[in-house]
Amino acid sequence: MEVIINQQEEKTLVELKGRIDTTNADQFQQEVSPLMEGNQLDIDIDCTGMSYTSSQGLRTFLLLQKSVNARGGKMVLRNMNPMVKEVFDITGFSNIITIL
Amino acid sequence: MRLDIHSEMILEEYRTKLPVFERLKAIVMELLQRCLDDNNLIVSGLEARIKTERSLAGKLELKGYKYHSLDDITDILGARIITFYSDEVDLISALVERIFEIDWSNSVDKRKMMETDRFGYMSLHYVCRIPESVYNDPAMPELNHIKFELQMRSTLQHVWANMYHDMGYKSDVEIPIEYQRNMSRLAGMLELADEQFSQIRREITDYRRSVQSLVASGNFNEVPLNGDTFRSYLELKPFGRLAEKIAAINQAELYEDSLMPYYKIFYLLGMKTIGDIENMRNEYSEGAYQLALHQLAGTGLDIVACSVAVQNLCIVAVLKQGFGEAGLLKLFNLVYGESSYNAQRAQRVFEQAQKINLVQ
Repeated sequence: MEVIINQQEEKTLVELKGRIDTTNADQFQQEVSPLMEGNQLDIDIDCTGMSYTSSQGLRTFLLLQKSVNARGGKMVLRNMNPMVKEVFDITGFSNIITIL
Repeated sequence: MRLDIHSEMILEEYRTKLPVFERLKAIVMELLQRCLDDNNLIVSGLEARIKTERSLAGKLELKGYKYHSLDDITDILGARIITFYSDEVDLISALVERIFEIDWSNSVDKRKMMETDRFGYMSLHYVCRIPESVYNDPAMPELNHIKFELQMRSTLQHVWANMYHDMGYKSDVEIPIEYQRNMSRLAGMLELADEQFSQIRREITDYRRSVQSLVASGNFNEVPLNGDTFRSYLELKPFGRLAEKIAAINQAELYEDSLMPYYKIFYLLGMKTIGDIENMRNEYSEGAYQLALHQLAGTGLDIVACSVAVQNLCIVAVLKQGFGEAGLLKLFNLVYGESSYNAQRAQRVFEQAQKINLVQ
C-alpha cells in the first residue's frame, strides 16, 4: 500500500496504490492523519491504483471526511475500480462518501 | 471642519477614551453572543461599531452645544442585533433587559412612534450600561459608567434602514413630497411582509407539532409524505431493526448516517404517504436482508451504514415492481447522481438479485 500526498495551493491531492487491509490499515491511518489536522479545505483522492479496502480503510475514509467537513471542506474519491466500489456500495458507504 | 473649543475638548476626550470604548465593544459583543447562545437563538446579524472621529466631529459641528461632555453622547458605541422575524425583536429586548441596565428616559421604541400619516420602518433603540453585577473590572471602572446604544430590528426593518440611509436621508420629513407616497408604499409592503413571515413561521411550527403527534400515533396512511413528516417518521427509527439485522451478518458496527436524502427517493418512487413507506418496509424487508446477506457474508466487512437498509429496500422495491436493471440504474442515478459507476452497479446488483430470486 502506498499513499502519495501532494499539497497544492487550493487542495490536497492524494494518490492511493495497492490494498488497504488488516496488515497495513493502521499505517494507512497514520499516513493520512496529518490531513485530518491540516488547514487545507478540500481533499481529492485518486483511487486508480487501489485494489481493495477493508473495513478499517472505510473507517479511516470516514474519519478523514468528518475532519474535512468540520472545517468546511469537501473530500472526494475518484477513479475507483469496480471491486473497491463494491465494498463502498454493499456497506452503504457510497451513501456517505462522495465518489466521482 | 471647524469646531468650537467646547467641541474640541469633547473630541479630545473621545481620543483619550478610545481604548476603553474598544474594550467595552468587545465585552458587549461577548455578553450578547452568550445571551443568544444560552437561549438557543439564531439571529441574522450581531454587530457593533465605534463612532469614527470624523462622524463625531460632524455631530459636534451640528449640535455640539447640546453636550456637556462625552458622557452625554450615548451612541459612541453602537451595537445592533438583527433578527430574522419581527416578533423576535420583543423576545431579544426582554433578554437584553436582563443583562444591561436600560436608560429608559433615553430609549425609544421607534416602532410605536410612527404616526398614521407618516411612513418609515423603524427599530427598537435602547441606551444601556453594563451593571457591575454582570461585568466588573476594577482596573477599568469606566466600563460600568459609559452608555452605549443597542438597536434591535428585524431583517426587513434593517433593509429599510439601510436603503433609507443609502439615499442620504435622516428623517422622513427630508424626503421630497413627490417621493413620499412611493416610500410609504414600500414601508407598508415591508411591514406586511415582516408580519407574514412571522405568521408563516408560527403556522409551520404548529404544523410540525401536529405532524409529530400524527406520526407518533401510528396513523401512517393519513400522513402525507413531505420533508417534515419524513423527519418525524425517522425519529421512530423505522429501519433500525433491519439495519441491525444486516449488521449482525458480520457482527458489524452500525454507523448512523442520515436517511433524510432518501425522502426525495421515496417521493420519486411515487410514495404519497408515510403509510406507503411502511407498506414497502413490511413487504420488502426480508428481500432487503437477503440481498445484504448475499453481498456481505464472507467479506469480513465489519462496518455498515444504517442507510444500507433503506438502500436495499429501494432496490428490492424496484425489482419486485418489475422495473429490472433499467429501474436500478434509474434508482442509482437518483441516489448518487449520474455517474459511470451506476450502470456497472445496476448490472451487478441485478445479477445478484437473480441468484436469490428477487427479480420479478
